[in-house]
Amino acid sequence: MLIFLGRRTLLAIPSLFGVALVTFILMRSVPGDVVTSLLGDVQDVTPERLAELRRMFGLDLPIHVQFGQWLGAVLQGDLGSSLRTGRSIAGDIALRFPVTLQLTLMSLAIALTLALPIGVTAARYRGRWPDYLGSAFVLVGLALPNFFLAILLILLFSLHLGWLPPAGYVPLLENPGENMRRMLLPALSLGLILAAATTRIMRSTMLEVLGRDYVRTARAKGLEERVVTLRHALRNALIPVVTVVGLQFGSLLGGTVIIEQVFSLPGIGRFALEGINLRDYPVVQGAVLVIAAAFVFVNLLVDVIYALIDPRVRYA
Amino acid sequence: MKRTIFVTLALLLGLALAQPQFGGTLRVGMQTDPVGLDPHLSNATATRNMLENTYDTLVMHDETLAIVPGLAESWEASDDLLQWTFHLREARWHDGEAVTADDVAFSIMRIKDPEVASPRSGNFAVVETVEAIDDRTVVFTLSQPFTPLLSFLAQSLNVIVPRHVVEANGDLQNVTIGSGPFRFVEYLPQTRLVLERFDDYWGVDADGNQLPYLDGITFTFYPDPTARTTAIATGDVDWIEYVPAVDVLSLDADPNVEVVGGLAANFRSVQFNTTIPPFDDHRVRQAFAYAIDKQAVVDLALFGTGGVVARGTTVPAGNFYAVESTPYDTRDVEKARALLAEAGLADGFEFDFYITSTYDFLRDPAEIIQSNLADIGVTATIRMEDWSIFLPNYIAGDFVVLVSGSSGQTDPDAFLYTPFHSESANNFGKFSDARVDELLEAGRQEPDPEVRRELYVEAQERILELSPHVFLFHSAQYSAHRPRVQGYVHFPNTSYLGFRTTWLAN
Repeated sequence: MLIFLGRRTLLAIPSLFGVALVTFILMRSVPGDVVTSLLGDVQDVTPERLAELRRMFGLDLPIHVQFGQWLGAVLQGDLGSSLRTGRSIAGDIALRFPVTLQLTLMSLAIALTLALPIGVTAARYRGRWPDYLGSAFVLVGLALPNFFLAILLILLFSLHLGWLPPAGYVPLLENPGENMRRMLLPALSLGLILAAATTRIMRSTMLEVLGRDYVRTARAKGLEERVVTLRHALRNALIPVVTVVGLQFGSLLGGTVIIEQVFSLPGIGRFALEGINLRDYPVVQGAVLVIAAAFVFVNLLVDVIYALIDPRVRYA
Repeated sequence: MKRTIFVTLALLLGLALAQPQFGGTLRVGMQTDPVGLDPHLSNATATRNMLENTYDTLVMHDETLAIVPGLAESWEASDDLLQWTFHLREARWHDGEAVTADDVAFSIMRIKDPEVASPRSGNFAVVETVEAIDDRTVVFTLSQPFTPLLSFLAQSLNVIVPRHVVEANGDLQNVTIGSGPFRFVEYLPQTRLVLERFDDYWGVDADGNQLPYLDGITFTFYPDPTARTTAIATGDVDWIEYVPAVDVLSLDADPNVEVVGGLAANFRSVQFNTTIPPFDDHRVRQAFAYAIDKQAVVDLALFGTGGVVARGTTVPAGNFYAVESTPYDTRDVEKARALLAEAGLADGFEFDFYITSTYDFLRDPAEIIQSNLADIGVTATIRMEDWSIFLPNYIAGDFVVLVSGSSGQTDPDAFLYTPFHSESANNFGKFSDARVDELLEAGRQEPDPEVRRELYVEAQERILELSPHVFLFHSAQYSAHRPRVQGYVHFPNTSYLGFRTTWLAN
């Protein structure tokens, strides 16, 4: 197991390096740079001032020199500071990452709570009304973009019923109750849609497993249907679900940016987006590196869970 | 029914006449985070608007943009206008130290210092020295008479900062110690910025009550305009900035929300590169001015509420220095065609129309202008780019015709000298006229407002005649608040100094 873990960790290094390099090249290929957004109104801008600022930030150096400088600093644990605000990037990521992580975990919890029972029930009563009800849920969920659902939820719960605030954030440790009130709608917007996708996979793998020989054997032994479904079938049907949920977990860590924007949450996605819009290169580099590292880590975690469920993986 | 009306009226009157109440925290919904917290290093409106009530300027603008005392109680200029002496009031920094003349000298020299790289280092280019005569007297020596000095001193990012705090911390990005009515408490990026009342603030209201009325202000950030308007509609915040033009009417119809605002100091115009034919011919530029339907631009591109049609030049209507009418106030396609024919372009022509996609109020007018010009046989080929690409081309003068503008001006010199003087670094269209130069130079050296006004009116009439820009509109800016928010005043330079007198009714 340790060898397995070690090998997987070593494999992550070239992935992260590749991500950093590609981000660096892509960001520098986008026209425009940070100095235009720094100067603000045109009445204070001249070409000389732009050139002077570029020199101050080292943006006039060749791109490979800039990458080398950045990489050198990162290897020493320094992500640098924002070109616009002068704030430490590591510090800002430490503030924002937990927000995205909490949003991701809450969405996944909502998704799994809904998807597992709905999927299993739909498979169990295939072709009967619970199955049709489940399919309707899947269809609506897959067709609805999450930001649209978010707006509908705001209209209903904030504007009409007045139960929940429409947007904004309060740190979890500062006021857990208020934090939950403000995280519930964003988590629902992501979770409900994720639930639809997961339900579909749960139902189809469950159907496949329910048709297997050992399930027939279990039934032939005279076991109760409930036991057959939950003990024998569900456990095996969960393996593909773990894969999909793991992937979704990873992509949510960097992909909740629209929901963060709609609900004004200070997550890592919005941090990166702001950096991209204003060409704040070190911010984008730092944020993407952390998102990529999180993705790699979650994948590693999924592999470990696999290895635990299925010993064959360990020796592959 | 009658009784209800009477009671309501009495209540309304009661509110209007009510004495300001002390206490309460104002919850403000902002569009974006501050861009850095060091006021001298930033040029961002967001930074200014959240910090201008923690710091003070030497002199200030009031809501009519007249100059009023700030940290300086009084001031006088020598007869040759080269020496300006300011007398400071007694004031304290938020850490308890006294505000001194030395802090003033240090702050102005810090903005000027090339090593500090302030985006406004040019504001004080004519200032040669700033000397502290004693603890409360400071003298500015200028290299030439320069009347706009007071406006630059009132710019609320050109604040006076404590020398001892800057020297201890290097810069002010991570520490905020000012002398204004509110103390800085904390800033959590994309979450909130918190201010609380400073009990030793120097300001008092008309009745001698110590300002401010509020216990504090909490700014939260809603980059999404719908999130911002929903937050005010549900009462999640008490006040929001930048009500989108499209929401002004619907939000105003909500009995729980009041929309405040109007004209802001800025201009938006079609700008010609006056060195490139055929736009080096003023008749072609005049033809454009006659052909473009400014009212349609405001009605269609700005939903009727986002701006006011320009009836003068860069200086908005209502300003003391504004001219209130132009030859181009009504659209005249015939005249435009005649002018083109005179210039030898009766068959029309095609040109590259450079537009930025980043700001809707600069982007959306383009198609209306394009169709207006088609009526006089001119084909505008729209080329659209992101602001970060557009801006460097714009300031390098690398364009033929574009739509742009700038904002935040308070002095006529900033409105007129900056874009139109032939020597100005920000005259990106390279417009050059000896008479205009002469008048604008005289204007920045003239202390008497009435004489100054005559100079600027003549300059603007000449500018309109030569038409280096087609002046389209002035953007309006609206804020909205819950009815319990009282005493807030809209400043046309979009400053939020109005929070100094804001109070909350129970």
